[in-house]
Amino acid sequence: MAKTRVLVVDDSSFLRKRIVEILEADHHLEVVGTASNGLEGVKQVEKLSPDVVTMDIEMPVMDGISAVKKIMETSNTPILMFSSLTTKGAAATFEALEAGALDYLPKTLSDISSDTELAKRKLCARVRMLGSRGKIDSKVNVASSFEAVEVQSTVTSIPFNIRDYKLLVIGTSTGGPAALQKVLPLIDADFPLPIVIVQHMPSSFTQQFSERMDGVSKLSIREGKNGESLRPGQVLVAPGGCQLLIDKGGLYPGIRIKPAKKDDIYKPCVDVTLKSIASDFCPSVLTIILTGMGSDGCEGAKRIHKLGARIWAQDKDSSVIYGMPMAVANEGIVDRVLPLNDIANILNKGQ
Amino acid sequence: MAIDLSDDILQDFLVEAGEILEELGEQLIQLEASPNDSELLNAIFRGFHTIKGGAGFINITPLVELCHRAEDVFNALRQGDKNVTSSLMDVILKVHDVLNTMFDEIKQGIEPDDAEKELLESLERLMDDEAEASAVEAVDTTASTPDVTEQPGIENDAPVAGESASSSTEKSNNDDITDDEFEALLDQLHGKSDEKDEVRSEPKQPSSENFASKSNNEEMDEDDFEKLLDNLHGNASPGSAEISAGSSKGDNAEKVSEVNAPDASPTIKAVEKVKPKSVKKPEEKSAKNPAKQVAQQTAETTVRVDTSRLDDIMNLVGELVLVRNRLATLEASTTDEEMSVAVSNLDLVTSDLQSAVMKTRMQPIKKVFGRFPRVVRDLSRSLNKEIALEMMGEDTDLDKNLVEALSDPLVHLVRNSIDHGIEMPDDREKAGKPRCGTVTLSAVQEGDHILLRIEDDGAGMDAKLLQGIAVKKGVLDKEAAGRLTPRESYNLIFMPGFSTKEEISDISGRGVGMDVVKTRITQLNGSIIIDSERGKGSTIEIKVPLTLAIMPTLMVMINKQIFALPLGSVVEIFHLDLSHTKVVDGQEVVIIRDKAMPIFHLREWLIGPGSQAENESGEGHVVVVSAAGKYIGFIVDKLLGQEEVVIKPLGALLHGTKGLAGATITGNGKISLILDVPGLMSSYASRI
Repeated sequence: MAKTRVLVVDDSSFLRKRIVEILEADHHLEVVGTASNGLEGVKQVEKLSPDVVTMDIEMPVMDGISAVKKIMETSNTPILMFSSLTTKGAAATFEALEAGALDYLPKTLSDISSDTELAKRKLCARVRMLGSRGKIDSKVNVASSFEAVEVQSTVTSIPFNIRDYKLLVIGTSTGGPAALQKVLPLIDADFPLPIVIVQHMPSSFTQQFSERMDGVSKLSIREGKNGESLRPGQVLVAPGGCQLLIDKGGLYPGIRIKPAKKDDIYKPCVDVTLKSIASDFCPSVLTIILTGMGSDGCEGAKRIHKLGARIWAQDKDSSVIYGMPMAVANEGIVDRVLPLNDIANILNKGQ
Repeated sequence: MAIDLSDDILQDFLVEAGEILEELGEQLIQLEASPNDSELLNAIFRGFHTIKGGAGFINITPLVELCHRAEDVFNALRQGDKNVTSSLMDVILKVHDVLNTMFDEIKQGIEPDDAEKELLESLERLMDDEAEASAVEAVDTTASTPDVTEQPGIENDAPVAGESASSSTEKSNNDDITDDEFEALLDQLHGKSDEKDEVRSEPKQPSSENFASKSNNEEMDEDDFEKLLDNLHGNASPGSAEISAGSSKGDNAEKVSEVNAPDASPTIKAVEKVKPKSVKKPEEKSAKNPAKQVAQQTAETTVRVDTSRLDDIMNLVGELVLVRNRLATLEASTTDEEMSVAVSNLDLVTSDLQSAVMKTRMQPIKKVFGRFPRVVRDLSRSLNKEIALEMMGEDTDLDKNLVEALSDPLVHLVRNSIDHGIEMPDDREKAGKPRCGTVTLSAVQEGDHILLRIEDDGAGMDAKLLQGIAVKKGVLDKEAAGRLTPRESYNLIFMPGFSTKEEISDISGRGVGMDVVKTRITQLNGSIIIDSERGKGSTIEIKVPLTLAIMPTLMVMINKQIFALPLGSVVEIFHLDLSHTKVVDGQEVVIIRDKAMPIFHLREWLIGPGSQAENESGEGHVVVVSAAGKYIGFIVDKLLGQEEVVIKPLGALLHGTKGLAGATITGNGKISLILDVPGLMSSYASRI
């Protein structure tokens, strides 16, 4: 099988060399070129047509975000951003994602994993995954007005009424920010269910992400705090680095935020959240599993499905990484497989 | 995280981060002048950001921490949330200093400690609002703190307390003045005799603020190297050699029948052998992963080469030059057409090779100049003087060794100009000068050497005063001193006897006297001259040859032995009737154009006193050399002609022999000793 061809863009020659070394050590990958600033990066993409681009953000001449925009004008090359895990890093990353970058990873290896070798493997795996994804149109189109679309699903759907449910949980990972941006802002203000978002994201990012989403959405979107109650019209985002559990609460369900344990693979973890609502809330739970690598959410989904909850999954074509959605789909527990652009519409319709 | 200096990745980081740190130094000074330049702010932000990124990769947390906070400050600055204030600059400059110190520690294999809490806190406070102004004053800006306060006193021969770094305090020899006295002296010369002045020893500049970095690696453009090899393998077009293509067609009158050519073949083979080694990357890397190497070569077009390998190549080229000289000499005595043509070609190619190899070792002097904005800034602040620094010719290239060697002496000279040359703003105003003094640093290549100039528009020097001191110190007697031209008087400050005689082996910037600066320069086969105009300013000119290894010389014969004089020192040659000399003050002189020039019989120094001249004709040749701004004549028996030679060290037994710079093999295949003019003068003619 052909190697995935990678272009590395970073203004630090030291880091460029290190990234190239790491990627070249994976025999599925081939670094076909490098660039030391955004402008060079754009030119190299035109010249080399790589399968994936790794992109630094802070660069002279042309920064990473501008470069992503320029590249997206002519080709939908998957771009992986290297982010500083800081507030400004988060803001910049989201801008890049909005501009069309597909995914992001922390710039520092130790933030990817405390085990250096594991971190390197994760980086390579991510690059490979993005590269083999092929070029998809991931450009976020927040302002697009869209008409009602005929629902196409691959599973015969049982009649559905949103009023039967008390809670919507959305789980996602790679490609999540962009995907959520096509869903959350489009949900009507009178949407009857409180929404919980469990997205694999570093702790310094979830706050920023929530604020951004809040700014463009009709619903109120916030990073969840321990003990908060879940009301309709609200979207609570699980804080990065923590686990979010949902309790029955009084009038409304309440959320509990626990700091994640060191060896937790996902922080926050969709399975943890779903398992916490199994006994108290099922069957009145709707869960949507969106794009993501791995299979987080599958175990939790299986459990709540047994108790009558409804599971939807994003479809392959519109998923950046068809991992998590595929896992649940393959279990046969998915009621609807939906293209991303349809999800908000259906939720609004309520049926 | 322990520092493993053998780790290529660490070395890589040090090279890149080192360059960024240097640039940051310049940029920060520029920023003070243009605090709203958003390009500059962005560049500085990225500088800290990149170092942080790299340091994070290799887990040197103290660096990460410090850079992170600095980055935050500059992010706020570049977004317009904050403005540059001079107290902010002080903190950031301190950060820069601390980063340099951490770097030095890393280069020595020591893991750096976290930055001092106060500094980190100052940085945090900068991010809060106006609390910064007061809080920052507490930060210790050490770089400009004078170490010692001294009362000037020439009368005081006793050791001066407090000047701990200088071992002049141990000297009981009353002929030497201590560093303090010397400094005080200079102050006096510049008309500050009434002021209580501060004598400062050179504050410790981060000693290995090393632009030609101590990591022994040189980036060489792969294209250049390929061209180099192409040339070696006969693809050369007879190009024009740019530098020191001194004609070595020996003007050798002597026809030597004896052929004593050193074996040419091993040297050529050795050069060939060098090829594969240098083109390949360091062994470990290529052993590990050939694929990596390919990737790197598509990504980067430079190759890291150990400077010792470049030294080897230089050496071999030197051998080649000697062989070429030999062949050229032989060719002169042959009528074989084809041989002549072949030797001509060899000549051209060798010259080209020589230039090309020299260029691989060249670095722009910008690396040295980069220190100066900061030096000037700190000094001008601590002395309350207004100084503008102008630099020209920063892109002038010179040999890496020279760059390193010149760094400290130049800093010392610039500090001197500012300290003793430039007057206080009020004094300048009174004298009708602009309040802000100007120091101009310039570098330009002149043929086979580099000319460096340090000019100031300060108070200039007082020749009479200097003469007086010379007499007082017993360096000259009164009449001799009186006969000195002003220019010669100024250059007295370089003479041994004017300051301490200590030979400083490691110039770390402490207690460096002017004569040590001069010694350093002459060790590089260079020369240093100072000129001045009272009230207008002073100019120091330093000449250093482009390369230390190959030198054009004048071959002379004394008593059938061949010696080589550096051509750079030779001013003129004339024929002399030895009966026409006179004696003045016990010194033999000859009258040239109405001036008396001292002459010396080299035979007496080199062969032995009292040795008889072989040539009893009463005539000889006088080679006029310039040394310390003065002209002196050496009497030799025969002139043999110009030859470009490769300086070979003398070897253990002869090393340190006074007056000799090395040895070489002439085109005739004979051994010739290379004379070191300043060395000769100081050993044999210390009265001058």
